[in-house]
This record gives sequence, C-alpha cells and structure tokens, in this order.
Amino acid sequence: MIQKPHEDHIYIEALLKNDSRVLSKIYEKFSHKIVSYVRNNNGNSDDAQDIIQETLVTIYHQAKEKNFILTCPFDAYFYLLCKRRWLNELKKRGNNRVTILEDNTSITEEQEQQVEETEIFEQQHQLFESKFKELGAKCQELLKTTFKIKSMEKVAEILGVTYGYARKKKSQCMGKLTQLVKDSNEFHQLKAY
Amino acid sequence: MKDDSYILFDNYLNKELSASEIISFEEKRNSDADFKQEFEIYKALETSLASKFENEEAEKELKKTISKLGSKYIKPENSVKKKGKIISLFNYKNLMVAASIALLIGFFLFNNGDPVYSDFSNHKGLELIVRGDNNEASLKAQEAFNSKNYKEALQQLTILSETNTNDTEIELYKGICFLELNIYVEADVIFDAISSGNSAFVNTATWYKALSMLKQEQFEACKYVLKTIPESADEYKQAQKLLKKL
Repeated sequence: MIQKPHEDHIYIEALLKNDSRVLSKIYEKFSHKIVSYVRNNNGNSDDAQDIIQETLVTIYHQAKEKNFILTCPFDAYFYLLCKRRWLNELKKRGNNRVTILEDNTSITEEQEQQVEETEIFEQQHQLFESKFKELGAKCQELLKTTFKIKSMEKVAEILGVTYGYARKKKSQCMGKLTQLVKDSNEFHQLKAY
Repeated sequence: MKDDSYILFDNYLNKELSASEIISFEEKRNSDADFKQEFEIYKALETSLASKFENEEAEKELKKTISKLGSKYIKPENSVKKKGKIISLFNYKNLMVAASIALLIGFFLFNNGDPVYSDFSNHKGLELIVRGDNNEASLKAQEAFNSKNYKEALQQLTILSETNTNDTEIELYKGICFLELNIYVEADVIFDAISSGNSAFVNTATWYKALSMLKQEQFEACKYVLKTIPESADEYKQAQKLLKKL
C-alpha cells in the first residue's frame, strides 16, 4: 500500500535531517499544549520537556528504521503520544492519587491508528534494547562491532579471528537474542495487539 | 532451535543461498510455524540493531538539538525559580571544551612505561542538575566525588538514583565510584549497560569499561574495548594513547 504523506511529514523529515530550523517550529507550535497538560496533571515543565524529547526520539527511530510516513496532522498525533507517555510515566511513579484531567481533543480513527503504530514500534524497540543488554558482554560487543562496521571481513580482522568464525559467532549471538525475545512475556503481550 | 538454523537465517538474509537452498528454506518457513516465528524475530532484530548502531552518532546530534530547543522554548515555572534549585547548569559544550583541555594537559604529563590506571583516571568533575527535591544529596554527592571521597559519593548517588531512575549521568558516576573502590563487577555492569545504550554517555562509558579492564590488568580485553571507541568520540585520542602503550 502506498501511503500519501501528510504535509506535516516535514516534521518527520526534519527529525531525520536534524534540521533545527524546522524542529524549532515543533516547539513553537505544539509544545505549549503539552506543557499545559503535564503541568495540570501533577508534572512540571522539566517533565514536559523530557516527555517531548523522548517522544521525538521515538518518532525518529521509527522513521529511520521503518520509513514511517505521517498521514495525519502532526499536532494531534504528537499531542496524543506525549499525553499517553505522561500518563504511563505517572503510573510508573505510582502516583495513584492523581485525578487525570480529561481534555476535549477529538481524534480521528486514522490518528489513533498512527499513534498506536508508533507505540507498538516503541514497545518492540524497548524490548529489543532490554534483551540486547541481557546478552553476555562478548556477544554485545561482537554485534555492536558487526552492525557498526558492516563488513564481516573487517570485523574478523579487528577481533583477530577468521571470517568464518566471526560469521558463526554473529549468528549464534543473534540466535541467543532471538531466543531471549521469543521467551519474554513482553513479546507475547506485543503479539496480542 | 539449533545454531544451524541461525546460520541459515543469516545466509538467507545475506542472499548467500543457492536457488535450491532458497526454495527449501521458504518451504520450511511456510510449513514450520516455529521456524517462521524465529526467523521473523531474527529479521526484525537484524533491522533494529543495524539501524541503532548505524545511526548512533546522528541520534546523539539530534538529541543535542532537541535538548537545546527544549530549554529555549520551555521555560521553568516561576514558582520553581527558587534560589539554589539549580546548582549548576550542565553545559555540554563547556564541559567538552574543559574536558579536551584536561585531556591535552594529561598528554603532556604521561610517563612512558607500562600504562597504569591512575595515569588515565582523570575524572570529569561531577556537576548535577537538580530536578527533584534532592538538593542535599546532589550537593553532598558532588562535594564527595570532587574531593575523591568515593564511598560517600556512592552513597549519595545511590540515594539520587532512587528518585531519578533513568538518569544516565548519575549511573555513570556510580560506576566510576565502584571502579575507584575496586568493586569491579558492579562497575562493569553499569558501564556495559550505558555503553550499549543510546545516551550521550555511550563513548564515555566504553572508555570507562576499558579503564576498568586496565585496572584489573586484563590488557587484552582492554585493547579490544578501546578499539570500539569511534574516531568521532571525545575519548578517541585518550583511547589511542592507551592502546599504544598496551
């Protein structure tokens, strides 16, 4: 399916290109509403800043890895992502006494769908990150070197092993990682979507 | 699943199978649900890790931009502008400049001979932004760390890390304290976690991982870790210097 990008896709491109001129527009236009929401719900401006940053980095990851195309206005999409992230954060902090002030932003099905796509991407991303850290130090180093350098011939040279051995080790480490992901509870929750 | 399967996945993704091998691979994928699931995970991991490590530097740059914009456009509440709330602004650029100067000075002071940990362990001073209500712990931690009282610093940093669970800077300095106190297992766990993460401290943590190896006199492991520090890192020169001596 060919998706037609919304004109606000420029913000996604700005993230990919680290274009601070366009990125500053995100802050200028959209951050105010998010800061108000966080402040009205037991947070401060530092919290809001963190929430906005983390959300932008997540969108960046998704765009880099999955060629994410924004097909709806950025405003509602971004606001909803930040809002849900803040609610999660409050839950994590065990802040049960909080009464969440609901606001009347209406969202379309399409926006909801894009938000969910990003959230699922992030859950998967976090799962992979956390399982990677469970690998032994040697596997972590080997995989990191492999993906950074890309040429397995060079990797073998750096590690002082043969090409065949490096290849075998790499797929073994990837196999271990595959197992860790497959056996995790989070993976099965992801599948439930 | 056996290691052979993973080698097969790798060969398939690298397009190194012959036509007949591809056919039998795809047949197996269509008939064996478990094989298919593992292959899907393997493939997703491959894409995800490739993207992560290829874009590490770009991501760091983006984070810097975002962070600058954040401080420019999002002002703190007036009510929070109490005196002493912000102890010291973590100014990335200045710190880097200071660190480079410290590095340069370091170069001139090095002796020749076998490298030892103390030749390379010039820690950046600890300067924390206070975000919560833990002013006291932050101050104590900084004071203790900067006067090399690592036991006390570790205690205070541990208090801080309880309320700032994802603060990489606090974690990193905890690691340095462990390293100074020769509690290597804890130190290595922290440096490993940070160096495989996404923060601005990836290279610093890798460098400390190498220092930990050096202090434990695991010279080969130390060399290996040092070689993973990219040329773009601030720690690159130090790493090369140490490499030469090993």
